[in-house]
Amino acid sequence: MSAAHRRLLEAVLPPAATFVLTTAAAEFGIRAAGISPLLLPTPSAVVRAALQHASTLLPALAMTAQAVVIGLSMSIAVGLLVAIALSTSRWVERAFYPYAIFFQIVPIVAIAPLLVIWFGYGMRAVVAAAFIVSVFPVIANSLAGLLSVDPALRDLFRLYGASRAATLWKLSLPWALPNVLTGLRIAAGLAVIGAIVGEFVGGGGLGVVVLEAMRQQRTDLVFAAVLHAAALGLALFAAVNATSHFALRRWHSQEKDP
Amino acid sequence: MRRFDAPKILLALGIVALLAAVACGGEDAATRAASGRVAIALNWKPEPEFGGLYEAQRSDAFTKRGLQVEITGGPGAPVVQMVEAGKVEFGVAAADEVLLARDRGTDIVAVFATYQTNPQGIMVHASRGLRSLPEVFAAGGTLAAEPGVAYLKFFEKHFDLAKMKIVPYGFSIAPFLNDNTMAQQVFVTAEPIAARRQGADPQVFLIAESGFNPYAAVVITTGARARDESRGVADFVAALREGWRGYLDDPTQANAAMGVLNKEMDGETFRLAAEAQKPLIEDAFAKQHGIGAMSLERWTQLGLQLRELGLIDRPAQPDACFVDAGTPAATR
Repeated sequence: MSAAHRRLLEAVLPPAATFVLTTAAAEFGIRAAGISPLLLPTPSAVVRAALQHASTLLPALAMTAQAVVIGLSMSIAVGLLVAIALSTSRWVERAFYPYAIFFQIVPIVAIAPLLVIWFGYGMRAVVAAAFIVSVFPVIANSLAGLLSVDPALRDLFRLYGASRAATLWKLSLPWALPNVLTGLRIAAGLAVIGAIVGEFVGGGGLGVVVLEAMRQQRTDLVFAAVLHAAALGLALFAAVNATSHFALRRWHSQEKDP
Repeated sequence: MRRFDAPKILLALGIVALLAAVACGGEDAATRAASGRVAIALNWKPEPEFGGLYEAQRSDAFTKRGLQVEITGGPGAPVVQMVEAGKVEFGVAAADEVLLARDRGTDIVAVFATYQTNPQGIMVHASRGLRSLPEVFAAGGTLAAEPGVAYLKFFEKHFDLAKMKIVPYGFSIAPFLNDNTMAQQVFVTAEPIAARRQGADPQVFLIAESGFNPYAAVVITTGARARDESRGVADFVAALREGWRGYLDDPTQANAAMGVLNKEMDGETFRLAAEAQKPLIEDAFAKQHGIGAMSLERWTQLGLQLRELGLIDRPAQPDACFVDAGTPAATR
């Protein structure tokens, strides 16, 4: 067995074992306790529902994924720009950062009905919900990274007469990259939650599948839809991790192979 | 090493949570039963659709039968699940929910049907001059309805909805008021009155007119309870019927009691709603068989319709869906 195979096995085996054990425990536990399928379906019932309703779930997943990707992209663009703007001066940061926190504390469930009035039913309201909940972690983490630049390096750039743009591009942004990516990991999961909440009011996607399944008392389908949403979040998380790995492996110790 | 501890902890937490949930489920009902109390879970805020219940509680209809009734639940409450899990003895749901729950393997039965005619309808702006549901659907525009409701499936099957954009109903009439081409689901006793009071000119088409007419505001319990404690269930139903008689004759005091609990609805709206729902509750059938009475024929028809729509997976057994708990003139 080659070293690469071993590493792969070491990475895959523990989570796979966890999955098998917890799924089996849930399956037998629910059966043994005689819990009604209306309250808590067995994993096998969820898988059956997922297969049986694949023609509903997969297009819904695609729709939700589209909204999440658009919302998350907007969060990355806006979040980074805002963080850069806030990092330019202490005064700007003090003046605006408290208002950026608004995005973190806004109860998305409470304002979701307003999104429909502002943006109309459909994709735009859903994207707005995904954006609102995911932009703050990008701002906060990016800003923390930009402000943590080593003062000695900053002095070095000043000594060499580097312009502000050059300092930003060549020093601050690369320095902040690990923080930015941490923000993205958090934002990715939140964007999925935001999109589902947005769909509850704006329509479409997995959010509506969940509502329909609840209405029709298909608890197994509710769980199947939730699993699809979780898989979407996981895929985005993995994408951010992969980006992180390729972007940082030459620079930052945390991404270097052990 | 840390990674290998996680599954154990998760498993332990999961088992604890599961045990807690199961334990709580049994305890509630048991402690209540010991003290002679029963609980009923509503699926909405205190509004005239529950008028008879509040009247029965306000008058001595329940207490003179030795019943202490606790009213719980509210918008979004998983009523069927609460009844099934024994968290409450009774619940309020729609007739189609009873059939769905039975199809999913639970033993839920109906004991009292408040509305003989389903009070749900589709509200449009009267200025559009539409005269029927088919005309509404042909005219196009946006239709706000709760995703997954049975009547929506029925519409899809029997009408052409190609021109309609169907969106989730968020229980606010603001989008309707803002958009002249908007249609939305309503309870005839609620949204149309609110819309009119906010200056709109709404027009409502009852869903029942389309041929889909499930009993609404149906009181449910478990089949086991209806069998094993038939006396208590019959008392509850008799008290409820007495409450409804009182409410239909004079809703003033029960409305005041509900108004305290539901501040969003003013006294005038309560009065108008109570008036608007009268013919839906006490029609010719209810006059003959008693308020809340149900017929096998109606349950049979609904079972066939839900089967046709693919909402239930097996043929319904209509006679098992409802229990005639002391209906004055037997209807089965």
